[in-house]
Amino acid sequence: MITMKTQITELFGLNIYTEKSVFVGEVEDVILDIEGKKMESLVVGKLNQELVDIKNYKGLKVPFRIIRSIGDIVIIRHLPGAFKSGDFGEAGK
Amino acid sequence: MSRVLARSLSKKKIVTNEGKVIGTLKNLVVDFETGQVVDLVIYPDPSFDTSGYRTEGDRLYIPFEAVKDIKDYIVVDRYLSRK
Repeated sequence: MITMKTQITELFGLNIYTEKSVFVGEVEDVILDIEGKKMESLVVGKLNQELVDIKNYKGLKVPFRIIRSIGDIVIIRHLPGAFKSGDFGEAGK
Repeated sequence: MSRVLARSLSKKKIVTNEGKVIGTLKNLVVDFETGQVVDLVIYPDPSFDTSGYRTEGDRLYIPFEAVKDIKDYIVVDRYLSRK
């Protein structure tokens, strides 16, 4: 278990899942907001191909505010409609 | 426009606002709960006098608050960078 204050390199390579256990990808890098002195978003690599339309692939950023928790993996909020195939959201949304 | 990729900071030189080189960046300490960047973890230059600074083994810690700007170098405020 990673404690609250951690070296940023510990994040690299962690798997990212939504809170509905959908694999999103792997942490490739972190975008920092220098003025705000905080992590702005995670850059996702090894993207789950079923989540995105590869033709429009521009990489994926996960804003820090949708991160639920970080430990051995990263759990983010499940956003229906955020991903190309709507299969992962609630039906009808 | 002060967004920067964390990996791009690796091995960047840290200088004070007076132009003195402190060392090279080793890592960053972050708070996963709040997303706040807390400290710079630095390998100090052998010539740098680390007295008055927070150290742990061969590493030197400077609060991220001291960072003035990051371009080719990481510029830190001399006074804010001490403990």
